[in-house]
Amino acid sequence: MHELIDPDVVAKTQQGIHFHGVSKWFRRKGQLTHALSRIDLDIEPGSFVSLIGPSGCGKSTLLRLAGGLLEADRGTVVVQGETPAQALQRKHYAFVPQQPALMPWRTVRRNVALLGETNRKARMKGVSKEAQLELIEQMGLTPFLDAYPRELSGGMQQRVSIARAFALGAPLMLMDEPFSALDEITRADMRYQLLALWERVGCTVVFVTHSIPEAVILSDRVVVLGARPGRVTDVIDVGLARPRSDAQEDSDEFHAGVAAVRQALKAGWD
Amino acid sequence: MTQIHDATGLAADVILGDGDGDAGDDLPPPEERHRVRAALLTIAPILGLASVFLGWEAYVRIMDLRPLTLPLPSNIFIHVFDNPGFYWENGLVTLKEAAIGFVLAFVAAVVVASIMAHSRFMERAGLPVIVLVQSTPIAVLVPVFLLWFGFSPWPKILTAALFAWVPFVANALTGLRAIDPDTHELLRSTSASSWEIFWRLRVPHALPYLFSAARICIGLALVGAVIGEFFNSSEGLGNAARVGQSQPALNEQLWGSVFVLAFVGVVGVLLLATIERRVLRWHPSQSLV
Repeated sequence: MHELIDPDVVAKTQQGIHFHGVSKWFRRKGQLTHALSRIDLDIEPGSFVSLIGPSGCGKSTLLRLAGGLLEADRGTVVVQGETPAQALQRKHYAFVPQQPALMPWRTVRRNVALLGETNRKARMKGVSKEAQLELIEQMGLTPFLDAYPRELSGGMQQRVSIARAFALGAPLMLMDEPFSALDEITRADMRYQLLALWERVGCTVVFVTHSIPEAVILSDRVVVLGARPGRVTDVIDVGLARPRSDAQEDSDEFHAGVAAVRQALKAGWD
Repeated sequence: MTQIHDATGLAADVILGDGDGDAGDDLPPPEERHRVRAALLTIAPILGLASVFLGWEAYVRIMDLRPLTLPLPSNIFIHVFDNPGFYWENGLVTLKEAAIGFVLAFVAAVVVASIMAHSRFMERAGLPVIVLVQSTPIAVLVPVFLLWFGFSPWPKILTAALFAWVPFVANALTGLRAIDPDTHELLRSTSASSWEIFWRLRVPHALPYLFSAARICIGLALVGAVIGEFFNSSEGLGNAARVGQSQPALNEQLWGSVFVLAFVGVVGVLLLATIERRVLRWHPSQSLV
């Protein structure tokens, strides 16, 4: 981050993730694309926030700006009172990519331990070995402890990826469409596994998705984005009680949430 | 809604009916067939090799060829086993040249590829050099090496090394570079150093590439050593073959050298495969073996 952060802003936003007038352009083959335009967004600490929007609306870009993997061209991103780059250096992010991105030469056990091993200068050394095993147990991976990724199904691989993220013990979790490659039955199951872990840990989650029901059942708030240029068109509060369960998928609040997100998406499109 | 309900009800009936009717349907297939198949698969490589030599043997006998045109493979085997000392000594000479060349090539390739994998600039600067070496017929450099090193093992070692270097460096570069972008980003998200990314991601990822290069390079290092010996040498299997070719009386020595060289290559490849099976247990290629 080249811009200095206003000390007042820092004082106001000690926690959570905050975007102030953030814009981002991409240059591809000499062509300039306006990826995100004047994003103002506050993500409360400990909340579960989904980003949803049409393809090319900049959801993943927004996630990477929050995570310090990309830099904003305009505006400021404040993460727990710091720049995203500082938070990245402290290993305050646990990242779950779209693909499981497991190391094929590591067993399940060693893949889960991975994020604690890198960047030893940071204080974040990952959770204890016992806690890792507990995470593996909770994701139903104990029988595959010493299996290599190629021996696991796609759903199992993505469960390892989630266990690996939680094993870092970071206060912020960034998830980039982690369930998009899975079949509907597997992903329905994994939503509640994810929620069960998150409810224990209480970290802040930013979750990118294409699925409206998924966004509603998981989130406290759903951020709806529009495309060309990417911008926030609406933020919808989901009124469902916690802890969530699949029984709520038949409730009126759930259907109301789904309808609200769908209408916001449509409004952003027009 | 009722339609869907009906459809599932029907499906459940069909499944139940099937289970009731024939309980024996769900037994595992008989063990016997499986074992015969496994045994056939085990001896298939031996059958393949045997058919080549038996076909050769039959062809020479039926066509009644002169030994100078094509000798009987059985005679070549007998000749080799009658002169174990000769082939052991010369084989060892060639093996040493090829092995030292192989190791030199491996080390040089990994060093060069690592430097190139670390910076875009070095990669762009190094690529034309690799292409240059790749496109040069390396055999033509043997006289140059002879000029430099004269009557020593070094011209042969360098030729072997240069032959093996090209596939090694190309594969090492691909292996170190073509890492999974998601895993790379994941490591970056913990602010991992490029040193950590090198050792934890690039090197393990490059291993299968290096092994497949090594399989080719065992043969290429032997080719390099033999070509070096053709030019100027008093020992080694390349020299033995050259001498064998120059005198009709030594025809068996020419073929004996070919057989022993092939044997050395095969042993090298088998040794490598054993190491590969241990090191690359995680790799999908190993589930086929």
